[in-house]
Amino acid sequence: MNTTEKVMEKTPILSVEGVSKAFPGVQALTSVDFCVMEGEIHGLVGKNGAGKSTLMAILMGILEPNEGTIIVGDQQFHAMSPKEAIEKGIAYVPQHVAMMDSLTVAENILAGELPKTKMGLVDWKRVNSEAMERLGRLGLEMDVTKKVEGLGVAEQTMLAIAKALFGNAKLIILDEPTASLSRKDINRLFSFVKSLKDKGGSFIYISHHLEEVFEICDRVTVLRDGHIVGTAEVAQIDVPKLIVMMVGEDVEDYTRESTCQDEVVMELNGLERRGFYEDISLKLRKGEIVGLTGLQGCGVEQLGKGLFGLEPRGIGEIVIDNEEFTADKPIDSFNQGLAYLPQDRYRYGLVGLRSVRENVTYPILNKLIRLVNLINRREEKVIVDKFISELDIKTPSQEQPARLLSGGNQQKVVFAKLASTKPSVLVLHEPTQGVDVRAKMDIFRIIDDMAAQGVAVIIISTEIRELIGVCDRIMVMNDGRMTDEFKKGEKDMTPEKILAAIEGGKNNE
Amino acid sequence: MKKNTSKLLDVIFENLIWLLVAASLIIFSSLSSSFRAPNNMAGLLYRSAALGLLVLGQSFTMITGNFDLSSESGLGLTAMVAALALASADNGGLGWEVSPFVAIVLMIGVGLLIGLINGFLITRLKMNNLIVTIAMQMILRGMVYIISPGSTASFFPKAFDWLGGGTLFKIPLEKGFFSFPVATLFVIIVFIIAHIITRYTQFGRNMYAVGSNLTAAKDAGIDSDRIVRIVYLIDGFCMALAGWLAAGRIDSATPRTGAGLTFPVQAAAVIGGISMAGGRGNMIGALGGLMLWSILDNGLSIIRVSPFWIETSRGLILLFAVFLDAVKVRQMHQRSLIDILMQSTIGLKDKTIVKK
Amino acid sequence: MNKGQNRDWVKTFLDNFIWFILAILFTYFAVNIPNFTSKTNLINVLLHASVLGVLTIGQTIVLLTGNFDLSAEGMVSLSTIFAMWLMITPGTVTGTAQGSGLMMDPYLVIPIILVLGTVVGYLIGIMITRLNMNGFIVTLAAQLVLRGVAMIISNGQIMTGSPKAFNWLGGAKVYGFPVSVIVTLLLYVGVNYLLNQSKFGRELRAVGANPDAARASGFNPKRTITMAYTIGGFLAAFAGWMLLGRLETTVSSLGEGMTLETVAASVIGGVSLKGGIGSVGGAFAGVLLLSMIDNALNLMSVDSFWVESVRGFIILVALLIEAQKFRYKPKVVHEKEPAVASDCK
Repeated sequence: MNTTEKVMEKTPILSVEGVSKAFPGVQALTSVDFCVMEGEIHGLVGKNGAGKSTLMAILMGILEPNEGTIIVGDQQFHAMSPKEAIEKGIAYVPQHVAMMDSLTVAENILAGELPKTKMGLVDWKRVNSEAMERLGRLGLEMDVTKKVEGLGVAEQTMLAIAKALFGNAKLIILDEPTASLSRKDINRLFSFVKSLKDKGGSFIYISHHLEEVFEICDRVTVLRDGHIVGTAEVAQIDVPKLIVMMVGEDVEDYTRESTCQDEVVMELNGLERRGFYEDISLKLRKGEIVGLTGLQGCGVEQLGKGLFGLEPRGIGEIVIDNEEFTADKPIDSFNQGLAYLPQDRYRYGLVGLRSVRENVTYPILNKLIRLVNLINRREEKVIVDKFISELDIKTPSQEQPARLLSGGNQQKVVFAKLASTKPSVLVLHEPTQGVDVRAKMDIFRIIDDMAAQGVAVIIISTEIRELIGVCDRIMVMNDGRMTDEFKKGEKDMTPEKILAAIEGGKNNE
Repeated sequence: MKKNTSKLLDVIFENLIWLLVAASLIIFSSLSSSFRAPNNMAGLLYRSAALGLLVLGQSFTMITGNFDLSSESGLGLTAMVAALALASADNGGLGWEVSPFVAIVLMIGVGLLIGLINGFLITRLKMNNLIVTIAMQMILRGMVYIISPGSTASFFPKAFDWLGGGTLFKIPLEKGFFSFPVATLFVIIVFIIAHIITRYTQFGRNMYAVGSNLTAAKDAGIDSDRIVRIVYLIDGFCMALAGWLAAGRIDSATPRTGAGLTFPVQAAAVIGGISMAGGRGNMIGALGGLMLWSILDNGLSIIRVSPFWIETSRGLILLFAVFLDAVKVRQMHQRSLIDILMQSTIGLKDKTIVKK
Repeated sequence: MNKGQNRDWVKTFLDNFIWFILAILFTYFAVNIPNFTSKTNLINVLLHASVLGVLTIGQTIVLLTGNFDLSAEGMVSLSTIFAMWLMITPGTVTGTAQGSGLMMDPYLVIPIILVLGTVVGYLIGIMITRLNMNGFIVTLAAQLVLRGVAMIISNGQIMTGSPKAFNWLGGAKVYGFPVSVIVTLLLYVGVNYLLNQSKFGRELRAVGANPDAARASGFNPKRTITMAYTIGGFLAAFAGWMLLGRLETTVSSLGEGMTLETVAASVIGGVSLKGGIGSVGGAFAGVLLLSMIDNALNLMSVDSFWVESVRGFIILVALLIEAQKFRYKPKVVHEKEPAVASDCK
């Protein structure tokens, strides 16, 4: 709203006007206005699915907007090609940078333009000295003869930023650069970025860590559900205000009556996996829905995968239905009553090439076997039909390859798969990611129904509002430990308080 | 302390091939006097010169993360083309009896054409490089038969044979002469040139970039498809040179010339440290792989191991090489995982490490 | 709705494309080549298709998991040589290889070679899944080793004179119909049915299409892949038994070049090199196509030198089709937009 008035004496290096982008079934961005000044670090915050990645993809020329214009310098584009974006000096540094691992730091820096001797051959001495000199100019010290695969994550990120700058980048997009850095490395990175800013560099800084936004950014823009909520000087705003902007107040939430019963279904006792989580103890009741949340890297992801057996679980005791839960691989987990919905649907959730029918019955094939190894197709068809109508999966037929369904329906197929195993405990990892609003409501209804049937549900999510809507309890994890608990009905259970608890861990360090 | 051991391991891994070469040289020399005769030693690379050129081409494609299994037939076809053009009608040729220069130009043209087609199919039509080159192997071998009507063409001009079969100088010994083959020197020179290309030219480094991480290479503005196309062209050129060497050495070309070389080519490159994952290994190592292969071949037959055992041991060596490659990749992954754990906030935090 | 049915029809057509080509080609050959449709010749086509067919089943199973098996032809060589070595007398005829003199009963030898094939397949699977070795090169090397061992055993010589009881599968006829053809057809019908109806078939395709999701769905990809190679090894030995029964003679170079034909047949039959898609039934069409073309080229007395080139071209064409398949992405089916839905009311 107030972007363009704040021009001051600085000139905008990039501005976006009225950009909209729709995907089938989802309006990802709605007439977005956004502007980055020369020599500023501009924070961009918003929940998962708020449209940050779509906006960045448009800036990098990967996606073409449906409407709107992009102005870089003095040139106006409807849509840029990736090449034009690079030519215009827009560079992107992702969390996991793509590097030529088997080559040295120096070569990675100078790739494609190695210094040569008079004879036209690569002059390795100059390659190394020039790389060192370039890094030195940016205040970085590194052993340039080391192979990149021998570097730590922090060093690789710094190197990637440096590389982008050497490529004449004028505007660098930093996407969650601190997600796997230690505080010491974060400080190094920040002072590095700030020194670059002082020399006139511009950055877009995307992060879930609001404290960091205040630490490093000059201005911050908030995206919510594809709309720009507003842009503000960080000096004139504080964390609670930012949280309100991010979460919003006008959204209609899913609400439900608690179906929590008294009987305990699952008990975790002192779960610990070194380096990821420790001292995790939790009791789940029948029909209870518990939310688990925390910053990226707080260990909650590994906990979910560990419970299911996709990753090592470490030590500790788990009891499900009064029996010790010993499964260390997915099939055993299904058999012992625990089902898991992975966050990465395309990689872990679905076998996209195969049909809806096959995807639904993968874990229960053993129960469908009629003779030796043969599947009872008739029974299978009945089961799948039941799930298609119960979960309202929109598909032309059971034989439709799963990859051809829309995001929401794909997610429902994964739910059908989990439900088919008749689990006692359901662990869901970001169950509403990448689905549209209507499908979201459907998914909450499915979760609600399953809880009503007595299934205990754990939802691992960063969508605080959604968690508040469906959960009986919300646990907050910090640095691998459960630090706070919020109960439904208590007045503490507000987005602001929970987010503060999530951020809290970071402050205490 | 820990860093030193891992560095030492690196050094050993990277030079493993030369340790093996040295060890096998010592073992065979001590076992057999005919092995350590100077003529035999100088002849090691002479006999595997054609193989060496194919190893070179294969190494180039592997560095970019591709494969070429068609080269043995490429060798066969180029050799046959030259042979037909050179030999007289009585000796199985077409009776053109062209000058060696024309024949060489002709075969290089054919080699480049093969490389061009391979590169086109793989980069433009996005076809699976393994199967494309296998299919090309069949097609080219079929073409050798088609143009040669199944017979041998032999007796070429001396000038043509010089590279593959000639000697550079002769030194009289007590019994007979010590003769130094041209091919040995040629292979060494070619490998040195290849080393210079891969190590000291922009193009060579771009090859590594493409094989190491395609995305990063593209980000750095490298036209990866173009690099791969050129690499297949070079590979085709190497086939032609190999055909020249092979035809020159035995002064004839048969429809089976070069058949069955795919395995040795693959094995020598992999043993020489050229990784199948792309982006790793160097030409000096590949030369080592070639030497090890020649030494084992020659040494085993000199100490009268049955040729069938040699065949079997080749397969086992290839398996061993693949195993080493897998270990290397795995070790690399483990190390970077440890690094990630050490660096991350949520990982083995400073306090945890201190405690231990 | 109508449109949907239309698309289904196109899909069915594309899925069975290979059978149409087969039919067209068959008609063409039948009209243009005298004797092509004679009973003897058709049986010849099927005979050629039988050994290749059995090997192709194994190849297809491995391809479905997204892997290659280039070792099968080595196993064909070793299993025949080893069987002969166990069965024939030492030095029956001068110039031929020596048997072990064990003179084993064929009924004992058959299970031995089948077990041998199975064990070797299992070991290859273990090397690939547990030791993370490159499957392509491992099987290539295994081919070399197996053939090498066959050479050592046979001393590079031809071995002839397998006993009658052994030859039954490959050589006998029932009502004028070769047993090997009947067995191959039965195998195809059986395996096709099994892979479409069994849990194992599901597992193969799921693992090939997306190993990570397959694991998260309760499968064990490493075990599945190992199993696929084990079956491949068994079938290779079985094909060896069949081939030796037909030829009654063997040499260590037996079966050379068949691996590529099996890959070609599978790919032509619609099996994806990337795994997860295809069926044994489709692969059989590929086998028939290759055998028919081979036979026709032979009848037209095309220079045998051309045959290999033609095969290479066929593989290239199959690959080209496969590569294009992945470029073409069908339109995603979406729910109707809410606005449209209300308009309809």
